[in-house]
Amino acid sequence: MTDTHASVFEGLNEAQCEAVTTVDGPVLVVAGPGTGKTLTIVRRIAYLLHGGAKPDTVLAVTFTNRAAQEMRERMESLLGPESEGVFVGTFHLLGLMILREALCDGFVVYSKEEQLNVVKGLCKEGASQSRELVDSISRIKSLLETPSEEMRHVYEAYEAALRDKGAMDFDDLILRPIELLENPRFVSGYRERFRHIIVDEYQDINAAQYRLLRLLARDRAGMCGVGDPDQAIYAFRGADVGNFLRFGDDFPNGRTVALKRNYRSTGMILDGASTLIRNNGRRIEKDVQPTKGTGERIRVVCVPDERAEGRVIVSEIEHRIGGTSHYRLPRGGGRRQGADESYGFSDFAVMFRTNGQAKAIEEAFLVSGIPCRVVGSRSTGALNGSDVIGKIKAFAEAECPPDMLRSLSAGEFLEVALKKLNIAGAAGYQEIVNYINMVEGDGGVNRRAIDFLKTVSLLTNDDSFDARADAVTLMTLHMGKGLEFKVVFIVGCEEGLMPFGPAEGPADIEEERRLFYVGMTRAREELFLLSARTRFLYGNRCNRRPSPFLGEIPGRCVEERFVPDRPGKQKRKRQMELF
Amino acid sequence: MRLIADLHVHSRYSRATSRDMIPEALCRWAQLKGISVVGTGDFTHPGWLAELKEKTEPLGNGLFRLKKSLMAKDVPPSCRADVLFMLSSEISSIYSKNGKTRKVHSLILVPDFADAARINMALSRIGNLNSDGRPILGLDAKELLKIVLDISPEALLVPAHVWTPHFSVFGAMSGFDSMEECYEELSPYICAIETGLSSDPPMNWRLSALDGITLISNSDAHSPAKMGREANVFDTEASFEAMKKAIRTGEGFLGTIEFFPEEGKYHHDGHRSCVVNLSPKETARHNGLCPVCGKKVTVGVMNRVEKLADREVGFKPGNAPLFDSLVPLAEIIAETLERGVGTKAVEGEYQALLQKLGNEFTILMDTPIGDIERAGSVLVAEAISRVRSGRLHITPGYDGEYGKIKIFNGDERRTIKGQATLF
Repeated sequence: MTDTHASVFEGLNEAQCEAVTTVDGPVLVVAGPGTGKTLTIVRRIAYLLHGGAKPDTVLAVTFTNRAAQEMRERMESLLGPESEGVFVGTFHLLGLMILREALCDGFVVYSKEEQLNVVKGLCKEGASQSRELVDSISRIKSLLETPSEEMRHVYEAYEAALRDKGAMDFDDLILRPIELLENPRFVSGYRERFRHIIVDEYQDINAAQYRLLRLLARDRAGMCGVGDPDQAIYAFRGADVGNFLRFGDDFPNGRTVALKRNYRSTGMILDGASTLIRNNGRRIEKDVQPTKGTGERIRVVCVPDERAEGRVIVSEIEHRIGGTSHYRLPRGGGRRQGADESYGFSDFAVMFRTNGQAKAIEEAFLVSGIPCRVVGSRSTGALNGSDVIGKIKAFAEAECPPDMLRSLSAGEFLEVALKKLNIAGAAGYQEIVNYINMVEGDGGVNRRAIDFLKTVSLLTNDDSFDARADAVTLMTLHMGKGLEFKVVFIVGCEEGLMPFGPAEGPADIEEERRLFYVGMTRAREELFLLSARTRFLYGNRCNRRPSPFLGEIPGRCVEERFVPDRPGKQKRKRQMELF
Repeated sequence: MRLIADLHVHSRYSRATSRDMIPEALCRWAQLKGISVVGTGDFTHPGWLAELKEKTEPLGNGLFRLKKSLMAKDVPPSCRADVLFMLSSEISSIYSKNGKTRKVHSLILVPDFADAARINMALSRIGNLNSDGRPILGLDAKELLKIVLDISPEALLVPAHVWTPHFSVFGAMSGFDSMEECYEELSPYICAIETGLSSDPPMNWRLSALDGITLISNSDAHSPAKMGREANVFDTEASFEAMKKAIRTGEGFLGTIEFFPEEGKYHHDGHRSCVVNLSPKETARHNGLCPVCGKKVTVGVMNRVEKLADREVGFKPGNAPLFDSLVPLAEIIAETLERGVGTKAVEGEYQALLQKLGNEFTILMDTPIGDIERAGSVLVAEAISRVRSGRLHITPGYDGEYGKIKIFNGDERRTIKGQATLF
């Protein structure tokens, strides 16, 4: 027991130890970026179990499956079978569990796509309007609001349609449990059971999740909220950083522990990011301290346009990788002197405020041949061979009995599938036939559909990107939450994009600043902030001004670079002026 | 059957590659050069794969032939021969392993379009196959080997130009010190390596670690005229299976046709931009730093071999296949005419010699010197004779700069010509 006990504290700093051991009263752990938040949570669970808590009394909730997965893996590797029975999962999983225990298992959970179909069926709206309606319904539910007059009709019809089908949407997985738990007899059992509640990313909870937590925890001693109000970036989904700031009122005898030692970023990056975020009012001051060296200054790079942003990034990456082909070797034949010699493509990330910015960057990568992956959106929109095959497989599994697949030829089956899937179109079909002929040899279309499907099953799996692959990540700042990279490029650091919104003032400047802060603090070693002087926006080439946020980063952390317009362009201009 | 095969070239879909690299040109130039089996290169590129599929027909033995209607009509009768295609491609893996950035190029050979398409399917989920005929993947070279073997057990993966400093398994800048460090438990599946232009078999024989591994040589040509500057000689039937077996086991693998390694772009160490060309000894004397700019020099192949070798210069394994070191005919002619390789005069004489004597390999290796003299000039004959016996001077290549061939000194040209007119 003693040596396992020792492992609970091994490598923890003082504040982390305090966060782990404060179990006799509510505690709010303010965990700045890179301060070992997940580690602390896992050790707290270990501490609780070693202190005699039964695994099924411990509830650890977080927001994404990815975060839950990581937490579970780390817990299991520390505790092994001892941790069996601890609930580690998302709010939705918690809701689902409560529902399953209370009701029978007979309901289905609708995906966003299915929600969309329901709404489309109800009001015969186009795709984008339906999507908006789905979002509005979700917002009403997550904020525990009552629908407005104009929404009421759709909302009620939607709810009725779901009831008819015995279905729930994702928000119902929180709402229905709340209804159940508002029954005092029902809730007492759960309060009895979940004595130790740990909520990760506490700054991101919305009204419904907050209500659910309050019902479960009341003002319980075993309540532990973990998060960073400076990283609250989900207001658009109904999250309210106020819940975090109100923790002290909700749990009057609660303590606050701040994790300040940052194990991720260099001193320069932290200094820049911390100084910036101090311009926010709604926050809890925490002086994040670097444990790494000072590092290089934050490079603030001003480029002619969005294409130059891409080129600068590609050349910086090539510089660190040491050239990607004989034709792109850096001059002098080698990589940067004195630089860390070990870079893979996954050490780099490019982040932007809006998905629309991905395209120009992706094009620069396509030209260079450097592999990149756009996370969270399909920027090109074009289906490639493996996408199509994936869809066809899913269609066959869902809609086609084996007998049918035996009797149809691959060609016939495909014709049906493509029509039903609405990805037919003469060109698309021919492309796939070519594809099948490639894979199966000529005459492949005449083979039995079932054999064809067996062959293609070997070729694709559900994950469309191979996990073994190393690629530069392109993503929105929102997607960066929880991740870290050696080198981070934030593009479009311009007024109107960062902060996002009209020049008169974005809806929520503090939220935008937090988003920028999240982006900056993803970087371990180097941070590049790029802004373009002109950009193609809304159908026009517009002149741009640097983001006001850049001015909030102190000069001591910054190295400014100015990339002039391409000489060719200027020359042409000068020639024009001659005439 | 004696076959000459050049299995690694690039198509016009690759970076910095001639627009002329199309199937028709590969077939035409293979005949001019005397290559019987030519790798298609770039099968990972969807556009090139489709073009190959359209323009070739399968022979049922894992090799392909250009459709009759597309055959070039202007190949001199003396050179006309059957040319077979083997599907091949090169992948650039760039990744980080054991705390270092690694850049390893691999050559993949497959017996049919289905295998190529399947490999492409898997790799398209890893990187972008469209932007370069030789795609860059952020994939561990070992994982690539695993993927290829899983998908196509028939396929052969060969580490490409293994000594090239920046892009190879043993490269000084971003390679490994041993095959095992790179391929780990899959190392036994590496049965051959491509030695590249800057090394020849004797250099590779100095590593006992390479015993039992077949040393193959290919041109890595980016334009038609460069095809066959290195190649392999087989004594097998013309089929994928037979050739693969020869590469795997060495049986039926007669040997290679080689560049003089000094002519390769990375034989010596140095800095191209500083015009500093150093032998490994000189590099050691300068502590690995460039005497001009003070930064680390690009360490070349000779130095790297020296570092990894565990045998003395001159060691020869008992069962070593033969090899011939050659200088491309156009370069020889250029040397005799004192003109550039790309000039009309050189081109004219090249074509004339081929018309009269047959393909380039025949001229360089087999045609009696007397015949060459009658067909061309005494200078060309003498030059080829010298190349055959290795009597030439080469300023070694370094840091991307090709080595410079010198067959004749000062007045020798005139003397030889003069002697000829005397008789």
